[in-house]
Amino acid sequence: MAVNAIDQTRRMLSLVTYLRERPGAHVSDVARAFGISEDELISDLDVLPMCGTSFRGGDLLDIDTDGDRIWWHNPDDVAEPLRLAADEATALLVAARAVATLPGLREGDRQALLRATAKLENAAGEAAGASSRLSVTFEAEGGVFAEVDRAISERRRLWLRYYSPARDELTEREVDPIRLFAVGRTYMEAWCRLSEDRRTFRLDRVAAIRLLDEPAAPPELELRDLSEGLVQPSAEDPEVVVEVGPGGRWVAEYYAHDSAVELPDGGLRITLRASAPALLRRLALRLGADGRILSPPELAESARLAAVEALAAYEVQDGHDGYDGRGPDGHGYDGHE
Amino acid sequence: MAIAKAERLMNLALCLLGTRRPLSKRELRGSIEAYLEAGGDDSFNRMFERDKEDLRELGLIIDTVENLDGETGYLARRDSNRLPAITLDAEEAAALGLAAKVWQQARLAGAASGALQKLRAAGMPEAEDAYEVHHSALEPRIPVHEAAFEPLMLACRDRRPVVFDYRKANAARPEQRHVEPWTLECWRGHWYLAGWDRDRGAERVFRLSRITGRVRSRAGVFSAPVPDVVTVRETVESWAGESATRSALIKLRSGCGYPLRAKALSSRALGDGWDELEIPYGHGLDAWLVEFGPDVVVVEPADLRADVVERLRAVAKG
Repeated sequence: MAVNAIDQTRRMLSLVTYLRERPGAHVSDVARAFGISEDELISDLDVLPMCGTSFRGGDLLDIDTDGDRIWWHNPDDVAEPLRLAADEATALLVAARAVATLPGLREGDRQALLRATAKLENAAGEAAGASSRLSVTFEAEGGVFAEVDRAISERRRLWLRYYSPARDELTEREVDPIRLFAVGRTYMEAWCRLSEDRRTFRLDRVAAIRLLDEPAAPPELELRDLSEGLVQPSAEDPEVVVEVGPGGRWVAEYYAHDSAVELPDGGLRITLRASAPALLRRLALRLGADGRILSPPELAESARLAAVEALAAYEVQDGHDGYDGRGPDGHGYDGHE
Repeated sequence: MAIAKAERLMNLALCLLGTRRPLSKRELRGSIEAYLEAGGDDSFNRMFERDKEDLRELGLIIDTVENLDGETGYLARRDSNRLPAITLDAEEAAALGLAAKVWQQARLAGAASGALQKLRAAGMPEAEDAYEVHHSALEPRIPVHEAAFEPLMLACRDRRPVVFDYRKANAARPEQRHVEPWTLECWRGHWYLAGWDRDRGAERVFRLSRITGRVRSRAGVFSAPVPDVVTVRETVESWAGESATRSALIKLRSGCGYPLRAKALSSRALGDGWDELEIPYGHGLDAWLVEFGPDVVVVEPADLRADVVERLRAVAKG
């Protein structure tokens, strides 16, 4: 595992510097300071006594631990703090600049971040140069963000007017916020008192927000692991098959899917699972000539009827629309860039 | 049993940092147990070259010096490898701690923790437990799902030209592209590359998820200057239809289409269950309006109206 060996070497070099200043340091404190588990630290401490400037002359690091505290019996001056590598400076600086642009970030936190960034650029010297090769912009609705952030820190309930693309309508609800996170766009995870379930809200779909006086009381929940992706379709969700031409290939980029089979004309047959298949009526309308829903047939038919109904409005000369029936649930599209 | 690579790298680093005079390869081989076990000269040489590269990735500056006998010696000078003095207060340290957690990409996540560890070793204060309680609840994450990200990041850093197969949004087949990579930018959760397209002789923006197959670096380093300001965002916004220069007039059923209302330049109720809205008319508006089915009717301009009708007819055919 090449990456791990590099990470471990980097960590051990810092560890040696750190331990020199702290004779008898506690394993638990050092592990926390380095952001690693105690087991990882112990495995580093197993390697260090094999390291030194010469194994022959016995110039090895005499570092040992009883599992609770760590002692270095022959500290030397090799252990100076090391300069930052280009990747290290890039990783930290790009992340710090990105976080600092979040509109809803607290002013105190932003100021601290900007001060730290400036000091870091200075200390990194020319290693900071490569960080201009990467940039990240988070999208966040400033006012909404600040209200959610405040509600979480004061543990208060929120009232929302929220746009639901599934029904193309605004609904009002009270929620107990759990956390805010940004993965490209910014989201709030909350306990929704309307649906009595955990829900994820996209901040750019919040049309209005108000902080309530009631305390938030979300049930104890295990936090989801966000690294798996935001949309985690369930195997029990109904299967939808969409066939697209070359012009509709973007569907595979925007929708989590089970499979995407190449077609001879350069198109794709995409199988996905939708918790609310009606959402995909919107997709079928959007695709137009670039694709269609193969199954379920009733979903394809609902898109077709919606199009027929919409066309009627253009064919009525006086512009008066003779239809008042809205289609069933539809609309779930995320905005194709 | 083979000696673990981390132990070998650590020994090489300590030898190079600890010495006052350049050490020859022969001397290093004699001081580091793993090199003695490496077997023949060829395998030792290969291992030694790789290890030096790995240490350079960690930020170590290793000087190569030729001694009087013409033998090459290596050392990592203390003064060029020392972190300059940096004093961070507890708030600044906590802010960097939050920033270091945003990467979901292994290499950058490792590099960010490595940077924090170096700063910690240099005396950066540790977060107090109490700090978490009143800290912002935000958990920003930078997603990186694209396999092309890491090779392109390294190529941008090292200014190496690259070649990859790229499928444009509406193209059936990928096409090979030769690019001098400038910058990578993440916007709305997707990564884009800006660079100089050698075949087209022009600046281009590529979406990483449309790169198919492997990204290969070409030999050599490109020397053409990278512009200070690269307009990834503007290019992507125009793909997204967000750089509209015209406006359109539509009828929208009352209570429907909140996202259209949020973008409207003006709106008025028509009184018969419909509202009239003026909205920005950029690329892709026709496809977006069709999503709302019978709840939207385009009034003008005529070209938008025709595009929407054509799309609706395609769907109505079934």
